[in-house]
Amino acid sequence: MASQNSSISNFKLFCIKFLLPFLALFFLIGYAFQYVLEKTIILKSEINGAYKINRIINETHNDEIPMFGSSRMEGDFIPGILGSNYFNYGLAGTQDNVTLFFLNEEIKKNKTSPIIINFDMDGLSYGNGDMANYLYNINNEGVQHIIGNDDRVHYHIPVVKYYGFYEGYFKDYLSNRVTLTKFTDKGASVEKNSLLPQAFNQAVALRKSYTTIFKNDEQLKKGFDYVFSHATKRKFIFVVAPYHSSNFIQYKNEGEAARYFAYLKTYKNVMVLDFSKKNYPDSLFFDTQHLNYNGAIKFSKALKDTLSKI
Amino acid sequence: MLFNSIAFLIFFPVVTIVFFLLRHKYRWLWLLAASCFFYMFFKPEYILILAFTIIIDYYAGILLEKTTTAAKRKTYLILSLIANIGVLAIFKYFNFINSNITGLATLLDLKNPIPYLNILLPIGLSFHTFQAMSYTIEVYRGNQKAEKHFGIYALYVMFYPQLVAGPIERPQNILYQFHTRKYFSYENALTGLRLIAWGLFKKIVIADRLAIYVNQVYGDVGNAGFLSVFFAVSFFTIQIYADFSGYSGIARGTAKVMGYDLLINFKAPLKSKSITEFWQRWHISLSTWFRDYLYIPLGGNRTKYHVRNLFIVFIISGLWHGANWTFIIWGLLHAIAVIYETYTKKVRQRISGSLPIIVSNIFSVVIVWLYLSFSWIFFRSETIHQAFLVIKKLFSFDLSVNYVQLFAGRGPLNFVVTITSLILFYVMSLLLKNKSKKFDLLYILLLVFTIIILGKNGQSEFIYFQF
Repeated sequence: MASQNSSISNFKLFCIKFLLPFLALFFLIGYAFQYVLEKTIILKSEINGAYKINRIINETHNDEIPMFGSSRMEGDFIPGILGSNYFNYGLAGTQDNVTLFFLNEEIKKNKTSPIIINFDMDGLSYGNGDMANYLYNINNEGVQHIIGNDDRVHYHIPVVKYYGFYEGYFKDYLSNRVTLTKFTDKGASVEKNSLLPQAFNQAVALRKSYTTIFKNDEQLKKGFDYVFSHATKRKFIFVVAPYHSSNFIQYKNEGEAARYFAYLKTYKNVMVLDFSKKNYPDSLFFDTQHLNYNGAIKFSKALKDTLSKI
Repeated sequence: MLFNSIAFLIFFPVVTIVFFLLRHKYRWLWLLAASCFFYMFFKPEYILILAFTIIIDYYAGILLEKTTTAAKRKTYLILSLIANIGVLAIFKYFNFINSNITGLATLLDLKNPIPYLNILLPIGLSFHTFQAMSYTIEVYRGNQKAEKHFGIYALYVMFYPQLVAGPIERPQNILYQFHTRKYFSYENALTGLRLIAWGLFKKIVIADRLAIYVNQVYGDVGNAGFLSVFFAVSFFTIQIYADFSGYSGIARGTAKVMGYDLLINFKAPLKSKSITEFWQRWHISLSTWFRDYLYIPLGGNRTKYHVRNLFIVFIISGLWHGANWTFIIWGLLHAIAVIYETYTKKVRQRISGSLPIIVSNIFSVVIVWLYLSFSWIFFRSETIHQAFLVIKKLFSFDLSVNYVQLFAGRGPLNFVVTITSLILFYVMSLLLKNKSKKFDLLYILLLVFTIIILGKNGQSEFIYFQF
């Protein structure tokens, strides 16, 4: 009985001397740290996914021409070359479901500027990319719709919600300021490095043996249709950035892609600009799907010329 | 269930709180149930294998104690060992042996008719099998009374903190503790939490961070340069230490909070001044297992077969880690080093005696570090071919710098964070030496924040789980 009592008093001692002060300090320091992180790191780096999602949800820039898409948007399109009012919302690792989220947020705004959308040759598909993109706005309805079952309890607990993602935020913050390996410009993040020739050749060989199939997801198609038919004042310009020729060796259903482009063109406010087979030399590619810095400059200038003729 | 998972963050306090709320006579049942749940989180059906060996060894222990005839006792022991080793042989070594038979048959232009088994290795099999064997051997030797309580015996094998990656306990150390009533102690709780936080730091901040670089280089050795291979090989030495000692620390910590003391498995092995000393500091519960149950029964160093005994022990130790020739070579390298050290002890002592002690110590630690790092190449490589490719790159001494290679294609920030983590590792280990309980709160808080900020996203398994 005496030992049982000492067990209880020991537990009380543990709570008073350790557990309660620990929790108090943990949340106090944690909150302060989180506040500083959000205000000075996350919301201060334009190439960060969390910044881009927050910008599309909570900010309105009336003259801005937004550009949506995947890593090919993020790394191939340089806004500064296209004009002074472009912003690159491209997010690495994301697919059309995320592009659709951006589009839906954009058409809520009372704007008339055109919208540029990067289109990938594998068609309409799903991919959320890094969870770090969504944590700052985790409670937003659209964000919740994207992440679905990937949501976790700790993403809603202050302090621990960013566990495992800090490095990514710092990396983007630093990349935005110290352009050591990347060139950044209004949301764009372009590779300045290049792969070793051996690694590039391996990537080409791998790509040649990889079968690409154009996917035409009905749900996503309906989503895009909704956007085009509800935002008739906006012009939607689909752009297919250049691909390395190795991508077309095992491209199974090219006809399906052509049919989808033809379908898009049936909308009066939709346009498709296809640069996919422009046959840029290897020296302009970072890998088989992404351009490097010189490639992005060349392509962005070409796109600017094309846009100026529209 | 992984220690470095959100599930464990909930599991551990719930199990501990209910443990202390229950009356002593029901606690074994609660711990056993929790341990089953913990194990079944990986692959539920493999608990049947554990159940099989537990039943065999439980009855073997009782029969060994009851029987007085030496021959019969030996038979019971052998049957129990065959059952345990048999399970290991089927699940861990069958396909390895079979692939070697296939290789040999191909050389002789023959066909191997034995089919391969399509089975996965149950997690931590080598650990709990060795722990179970140590029980029957100790009962046979008369050092341990047979455990009559089936549930307590099952708990001895299955106690969740050390179930999947040790420390490999001895019955004399842990069985009696399950019979002893435990009370919540402030000291134990704090010591335990400190061990857990330090273990998680080593796993999440150090091992998982180093793994990014190491995996990248080993995954694409062809495109790696001398410098990246040099860093990867050096990093792996620290990674495996941080990973495994981190696990052992968390295991000891979780047990300690409930009042149980597990064996200390690591005593700063990377500070060893010889390979022999390394084995006295590294994975102590395994090296002492081999010493007590294999090396000494073979005659130890008292016979003319000393060298043979060392080779046997280290080759089996290599095989214990994995069914692959890479592990056998790793074991052989350690055997060669220990034999070399044994036979050159006097000469080396004379040389080191002529040097200032600090120079001699630093020199020894560096040599041991280099040799260890070299031997880990075989441990980390998936094939002998890959190991030799790494060695070839390492001995190219090509010092030309290519940043993509140097950063292993993961960018400069990852490299900077990796180096920062290593510095932090050193600083934190210095802080840990401060035994004063006054700073425990701040120390644990610091570790927790470091884990949250520098921790790598995603749960990665502990390396030793595969054994």
